[in-house]
Amino acid sequence: MIRFFRSREFRRFLRNRLAVVGLGCVLLVSVVAVFAPHIAPYRPTAMDFDSLLLAPSTRHLMGTDMLGRDIFSRVVHGSRYALIIGIGVVGLQMVFGGALGLAAGYLGGTIDTTVMRIVDVLWSIPAIVLALALAGALGGGITVMIIAIAVTGWGQFTRLMRGQVLQLREMDYVSAAQAAGAGIPRILFRHILPNSLGPVIVYATLEMPVAILWSASLSFLGVGAQPPTPEWGALIADGRGLISFAWWVSTFPGIAIMITALGFNFLGDGLRDALDPKFERRI
Amino acid sequence: MFGYFIRRMFLLIPTVLGVTLIVFSLMHVSGDPIRLLFGPNVSEEKVQEKREELGLNRPIYVQYWNWLTRMVQGDLGNSIHVQDRVSNLIVARIGPTFELTVSALLLTVLISIPAGIISAVRPYSVIDNAARFVALFWVSMPYFWLGIMLMMLFGLVLDWLPISGRGGPLWTLRGIRYATLPIVTLGLPPIALFTRLTRSAMLEVVNEEYMRTARSKGVGETAVIVRHGFRNVLIPIVTLLGLRLPWLFGGAVITETVFAWPGMGRLLVGAVMERDYPVVQGVVVVIALVTVLANLAVDLTYTFIDPRIRYN
Repeated sequence: MIRFFRSREFRRFLRNRLAVVGLGCVLLVSVVAVFAPHIAPYRPTAMDFDSLLLAPSTRHLMGTDMLGRDIFSRVVHGSRYALIIGIGVVGLQMVFGGALGLAAGYLGGTIDTTVMRIVDVLWSIPAIVLALALAGALGGGITVMIIAIAVTGWGQFTRLMRGQVLQLREMDYVSAAQAAGAGIPRILFRHILPNSLGPVIVYATLEMPVAILWSASLSFLGVGAQPPTPEWGALIADGRGLISFAWWVSTFPGIAIMITALGFNFLGDGLRDALDPKFERRI
Repeated sequence: MFGYFIRRMFLLIPTVLGVTLIVFSLMHVSGDPIRLLFGPNVSEEKVQEKREELGLNRPIYVQYWNWLTRMVQGDLGNSIHVQDRVSNLIVARIGPTFELTVSALLLTVLISIPAGIISAVRPYSVIDNAARFVALFWVSMPYFWLGIMLMMLFGLVLDWLPISGRGGPLWTLRGIRYATLPIVTLGLPPIALFTRLTRSAMLEVVNEEYMRTARSKGVGETAVIVRHGFRNVLIPIVTLLGLRLPWLFGGAVITETVFAWPGMGRLLVGAVMERDYPVVQGVVVVIALVTVLANLAVDLTYTFIDPRIRYN
C-alpha cells in the first residue's frame, strides 16, 4: 500500500488536477452514502401534507415534492442506490464478461468464435433499448434493473480482457510458466489476470458513470426503482410534470447524478493517463 | 465492391438471427404472457382460447420458427392493446424517429468537426483546453435531465419554444420550432466527444509530409487543412460515428419520451409498460436492424473516403 503511494503512477495521478477533483467527488458521494441517515434531516419517505411543493429554504434545502417529502433527504439517500447499482452492475459485468474474455482469449478456437459472436450480436442492439425491454419483461425493480443492465453490457469487458490475454499470452514469463508445467488455471490466475488488472480497473471506473446514468434512465422510464424509493432517476421523473411551477423537484437529483458521474469520469480518465502514459494526450 | 457488399450482407445473417433469438426470448423470460395480459382472475377456458389464438400452445422452437418466417415476410403480428398490426404502428412512427436522429447527428457533426479542426490548428487555445473538460461534462449528464432542463429554460422561463409533441414536417417553421429542443437534447452531448476526436486526428496529420508539400507549393493554409488534412481525419470520425450509432438510437428512446415525440422510442416505452410484447419485439428488431445496416453503411463509406482501402 505504502509502495503504491510512493509510486510514479500515483504521483502522475496527483499532478492531474481533474483526476484529483474526480477522486474528491467520488469520495464525497461515498461519504454521503455511508452516513446518509445522519446527514439527511428527514426520513426520505416521510410525507408532510402541510408542506407540499415548498421552494428551497433553510428548512428544506432543496425544497419539498408533491407529497411534502424533503428533497435534500431523498437526494442524500439516493446516493446509496446510485453506488449500489453502479457497483452491482459493473461487478457483474466484470466477473461475467471478464471470465468469458479470459476463456475466449486463452482457449481460442470455437469458444473464442462463439463468445465473440454473441458479443457482436449484443453490440448491434442499442443496449439501453435491450435493457429497457428486458427489465420490462422481468417486471421492473432495482434488482431486475441491475441484472438487465449487466446482461446487456458485459461485452465490453469481454473484448478488453480477450485483448489483454492475446497480448500477454505471448510474453516470455507465460511461456516459462507453461514450460515449467503450470496448468491453465495457474497461468490464467497467477500470471495473466494480475497483469491485466490495470486496464480493467480503468475501464471499470469509466463504466460506473455509464451504469449510474443508465439505471437513472431506466428508473425515469418506469422500469427501474419503484416509488417511493428515493432513486435519482425516479426523483427526476417525479418532478417531470411539475416543471412549470416546481423547478427544484427535478433539478437537484439531476445535479447529484452529474456530480457522481463526472467524478467517476474524471477519476477514470486520470487513472488511464497515470497507468498508461502512452495514452496521454491522444484523445 | 459489389461482391464485398453481397458478402457482408450474408455475414449479417447470423448476427440478425442472434438478435431475433434474443428478442424472441424476451417474451418468455417474463413468464406466461397470457396470464400477464389477463391477470389472475380469468377462467382457464379463456386463457386456453387466447393461447390457441396466439399460437402459444405449440413447442417453443415452432413458435420461434413461425414468428421468424412471418417476420421475414414483413408480418410482425398484432398489438395486444391497440387493434392494429405492429408493422403499421412502426411505419407510422419510423419517420419522426429518423427525423430526430438524423438531424441530431447532423447537428453534432456540423458543430464538432469545425470546432475540432480549429482547436487543432490553434492548439492550447481556449477551445482546446475547454474541450476535455466539456467532453467529460456532457457524457456525465443524463439525456432526460438535460431535456427537462432545456424545456424549463427555453420553453417555460424564456417561452421561446414549444416543449412537447411534433409540429409537423421539418421543412415547416412550426415543425422546426417543435423539433428544436429534442434535436438539441440528442445532438448536444456527443459534440464534445467528436470535437476531441477530430482535434487529435487533425493534430496527427497537421505536420505530415504531404501537408508540408502542399504548403511549399504555395497552397493557402485553409486549402491545405480542408483539402489535404480533412480527408485524412475522416476515417476516425466515421469510425466513431459507427460506434455511436447504438447510443444515438438509445438516446432517441429517452428523448422521445421526455418530449412526447411520436416516434418508435415512445412506442417502445409505452409497449414495455403495457407489456404489449409483439410491439416490444417488433420495435427492438427494427431498431437492431437499422443499427446493423447503418454500421454496414459506415463500413462501406470507408472506400469512398479513402480510395486506398479496397474490399475484395
